[in-house]
Amino acid sequence: MKSDIYNWFFLILKRDLLIAFRRSSTYITPLIFFLIVVSFFPLALSPDQDFLRSLAPGVIWIAALLSSLLAVETIFSEDFKDGTLDEFFVTNEPSFVLVFAKVLCHWLITGLPILLASAISSIILYLPASSFLPMICSLILGTFFMSLLGAMGAALSLGRSAILSSIIVLPFSIPTLLMGTAVVSSAINNQDYSGFLLIMGAMLAIGIPGLCLLTVEAILLNYE
Amino acid sequence: MGSPPLFFQWSSKALPWLAIISIIVFSIGMVWGIFYSPTDYKQGDVYRIIYIHVPSAILGQSILMFMAICGFITVVWRVKISGMLIKSAASIGASFTLIALITGSIWGKPTWGTWWVWDARLTSTLILFFIYTAIIGLHSSLDDKTKADRAISILSLVGIAIIPIIKKSVDWWYTLHQPSTFTLSSAPSMAPDMYQPLLVCVLGFYLIFAFLLTMNLRAEIVFREKNKTWVSKQYLNRQKNDK
Amino acid sequence: MLPKLKVKNLSCSRADNLLFHDLNFEVVAGKNIEIIGSNGSGKTTLLRILLGLINIGEGKLEWLDNEENYNHYRSIDCFYQGHSLGIKNLLSAHENLSLSSYSFGASEEKIAYALDRVGIKNHLSFTSELSVGQKKRISIARWLLKDFGIYFIDEPFSALDDQATSLIIEIIEELNAKGASFVITGHRASDVISNQIFLDHEV
Repeated sequence: MKSDIYNWFFLILKRDLLIAFRRSSTYITPLIFFLIVVSFFPLALSPDQDFLRSLAPGVIWIAALLSSLLAVETIFSEDFKDGTLDEFFVTNEPSFVLVFAKVLCHWLITGLPILLASAISSIILYLPASSFLPMICSLILGTFFMSLLGAMGAALSLGRSAILSSIIVLPFSIPTLLMGTAVVSSAINNQDYSGFLLIMGAMLAIGIPGLCLLTVEAILLNYE
Repeated sequence: MGSPPLFFQWSSKALPWLAIISIIVFSIGMVWGIFYSPTDYKQGDVYRIIYIHVPSAILGQSILMFMAICGFITVVWRVKISGMLIKSAASIGASFTLIALITGSIWGKPTWGTWWVWDARLTSTLILFFIYTAIIGLHSSLDDKTKADRAISILSLVGIAIIPIIKKSVDWWYTLHQPSTFTLSSAPSMAPDMYQPLLVCVLGFYLIFAFLLTMNLRAEIVFREKNKTWVSKQYLNRQKNDK
Repeated sequence: MLPKLKVKNLSCSRADNLLFHDLNFEVVAGKNIEIIGSNGSGKTTLLRILLGLINIGEGKLEWLDNEENYNHYRSIDCFYQGHSLGIKNLLSAHENLSLSSYSFGASEEKIAYALDRVGIKNHLSFTSELSVGQKKRISIARWLLKDFGIYFIDEPFSALDDQATSLIIEIIEELNAKGASFVITGHRASDVISNQIFLDHEV
């Protein structure tokens, strides 16, 4: 078994999943945070069904953005502190692929709870059932992009507060927000939403290599 | 020129000229536009604010592009001065964007009755402002300023890549929710004698930017190199170890 | 014996302070290099430059007398340990070794041998439940997972008791006999037989 990219991939996967499994707060907190944020809207505004139904796409997406952003905050900090992150850059394999593997793992751990939370929220916000599947699709694409962006933000502000990381990342996540809510709103109105999903997919296609490369640069800054 | 002290010496000589030229062109543009251009038949005299609003908006976007180019140079070739340029330009760019927002708002009040409206262009400008604050916030939070320069290089590269996507998506979002009333942000169809002062204003704003950028960069250089002898000689007129 | 790594005229500045200038040394099989300096003298920076974590300012690094082998050699045959232990708190000692990137190609027997050699008995408890000394030992056990060519260890002897110190020295000597070299850093000279390089920090 030589050191090649597949071994690295599975190593990162195994290690991170094992650690996340043993620290259940990693995957429970995004879920609960999402639900708390969603609950604030009827509490602060009005519990009226029609009103909440009109708000539902936006509220779910806002909660998804905030949850995935805060969840990805600590993606590198532990590995950087205990020295495990150094191995990514000492090896022969392209570091940005390893960073991608790490973000993918992290998204599997935190993104799936967010999807679950969005499913629950769609019930408590009276989202029409027809838009459920498109919403989930848009959230899969969107939360993954958020994890990529958030990872870059976390790498840039490694060791600093979460709120700083938020102002760095949130402006860049506005297109995702607009496209994602467009998918859900179009689905509610029985309009074609595939175009928006394609745009989100395209953003991912460019974002995966681009953001991972920039994240590698950002992490390497911390070694100087 | 890539060396900060050298740039400082060169700019000390160039600065007075730059100041004079920029102030002259800026003043010509402003006075011409605000006082001597014809009155618009639809909006009256209030439209004159475009002589501040439009150049500010143009500068706000161009400065981000400038920062992205400097960012690319910093990341790829590790030139020190291009990193400092990003930092120096960021606050200027943020200020121009803020001016564009405020003047846009002032323009809206007499025409619409409200101080703010979420139309496509104002909203995009607001998001641009947030990108500037992200860059400035990141730089101020990192204590090692060389590292901070490289960090904002990365961020400005992401910024310039996402700007077209933001504009397109905000445009689309606005058309979806567009109220039936006419959108104010499109400039009135311009007669040549309205257009010419606008061009001069834009040029004046660019020159002012160059002037402010040079001033900012000089201040940044002195701040970073404050422990070096050339700085003490320059400003304190004494050797480093004198008391 | 051909040197595995030749450092030629290496210079480095940090925040406009010159850390070291025109550094030259060779890492030969079976022989160690010790880099000694006070805090801030650039020891960690030097290690990071050697491993490619930081860009080289001035100077040259020649690996195996042939620069083209650099990346391959670095990833296959070099072991790096920075200031931290490089192990995860929520994994057991055994998992820390089997799930380490340095364990590609290591068999179960090797892992068991490594843990045994450093004196870790309770394989199954999480590392967070172990003492600092035991954590250090697990970290050292990783050195034995494969036959690495060069070990780059940043401050291996910091905060160690005598028992652990002599354990490390024993292991270093064993590995030297097999042809491995160590490049270690520290505040003062240790008992390891090595070529000592002093990085003086002039204020």
